Amino acid sequence: MSELRKDLISGRWVIIATGRGKKPDDFRSSEKRARPEEPRGFCPFCEGSEVKTPPEIPTTLRSDETSPDSPGWKVRVVPNKFPALNRGLPSPKRSKGIFQWMEGTGVHEVVIENPDHDRELGDLPVPHIRDVLAVIRQRIRDIEREFHYRYVQVFKNKGREAGASLSHPHSQIVATPIVPKRVKEEIYGAERLFRGLKECVYCRILKEEDAAGERIVIRNDHFTAFTPFASRFPFETAVYPARHSPFFTDIREDELSSLAETMKSVLTRLKGTVDDPPYNMVLHQAPNPSHSRQAWPEIDRIFHWHLEIFPILTKVAGFEWGTGFYINPVPPETAARFLRTS
Amino acid sequence: MSKKILLVEDEKPLCLLYEEELSKEGYAVTAVYDAEAALEALGSSAFDLIVTDIRMPGKDGIELITQIMGRRKDIPIIINSAYQSYKEDFMTWAADAYVVKSSSLDELKAKIKQLLDR
Repeated sequence: MSELRKDLISGRWVIIATGRGKKPDDFRSSEKRARPEEPRGFCPFCEGSEVKTPPEIPTTLRSDETSPDSPGWKVRVVPNKFPALNRGLPSPKRSKGIFQWMEGTGVHEVVIENPDHDRELGDLPVPHIRDVLAVIRQRIRDIEREFHYRYVQVFKNKGREAGASLSHPHSQIVATPIVPKRVKEEIYGAERLFRGLKECVYCRILKEEDAAGERIVIRNDHFTAFTPFASRFPFETAVYPARHSPFFTDIREDELSSLAETMKSVLTRLKGTVDDPPYNMVLHQAPNPSHSRQAWPEIDRIFHWHLEIFPILTKVAGFEWGTGFYINPVPPETAARFLRTS
Repeated sequence: MSKKILLVEDEKPLCLLYEEELSKEGYAVTAVYDAEAALEALGSSAFDLIVTDIRMPGKDGIELITQIMGRRKDIPIIINSAYQSYKEDFMTWAADAYVVKSSSLDELKAKIKQLLDR
């Protein structure tokens, strides 16, 4: 029996096809079979290859006694060597007929999460994951000081099927001079629901998920990880902070440690439950505060930063592209149960 | 003494054009049409710089530069591809420069000079 479920904020509908696959084994990653061998012998992100990257950004975390662009770092941040977007003030929008364009300006940086090529984010000790998060927070703060970067997107692609070209664990930071459409849609959805609910929709979701319990994976004092009601993908997991804030950069030190614990737990559970799947992890936060508060005066009340993790266990195909409907063969309640007990 | 460049380009007319243009600049150019021939050439001669295409039959340019890096990391490499999209592959960072092919070789020549003068 299938169900059509609506994602509250985006308004997107998802088909939860409960009749297909019921065991985690049915959704174990196919990547290990499909992936051609990554060329070995050299990795530009490994310790010792520092000369092959652009000079590191001072936010890099290293032992006191080591010098920049040499071994001895813990978390390294470098600009993209061959960026698609170049730093600089955005040019005015231009148009020809009905078509509009502007020069491609922006920031693209890589956060190399640790020197060890084979040690994934979820395998790192909690304090090291916390360091990665602290470095990311600092980079967002620094980039947002340049007001023309209106949106900073942080994401992680793990595995070839998730779009990673290199298996050395890394995250990416991309800042753009425009607020992406999907982000605007999420803010508009949150704004509309705020008017109806008279409270932040994300805070409300947290309350209702807490009360229902069946989609909760783990929770601690500061964070709740759960499989969203209208999950598009099997084992899709969201991590919401308990304290309301639209900006990840507001996260406090104790919350950083708690987020690191939560992420380690979720990634370890996913690894154990569905055989170390490729995944995308995406930070959803409000645009640059200087822009957000002008464009959406209520932003501090309506938006609530959070993380989403999408294991790549199914393919997005013609039906999804054509209709915007997703078919999810694993009910989120089932996924949460497996993740809780792994 | 002329600096030695290994040029890896599978399209023969293009390869001849690059060879001729770079020779005119005073470089000693060895041109090969695939990655295997490039590895063979590297095994028997010393080069000051490598210019390689990416999309080639057999091993592609990214596999080639990865293998070269496994042997020696000090040789400057320029990727010379018709495609921007390979920039998204972080393995291209093994190269020192990425030039998108165009009808003018000015950018390629400038990058070669810059890397050899370094």
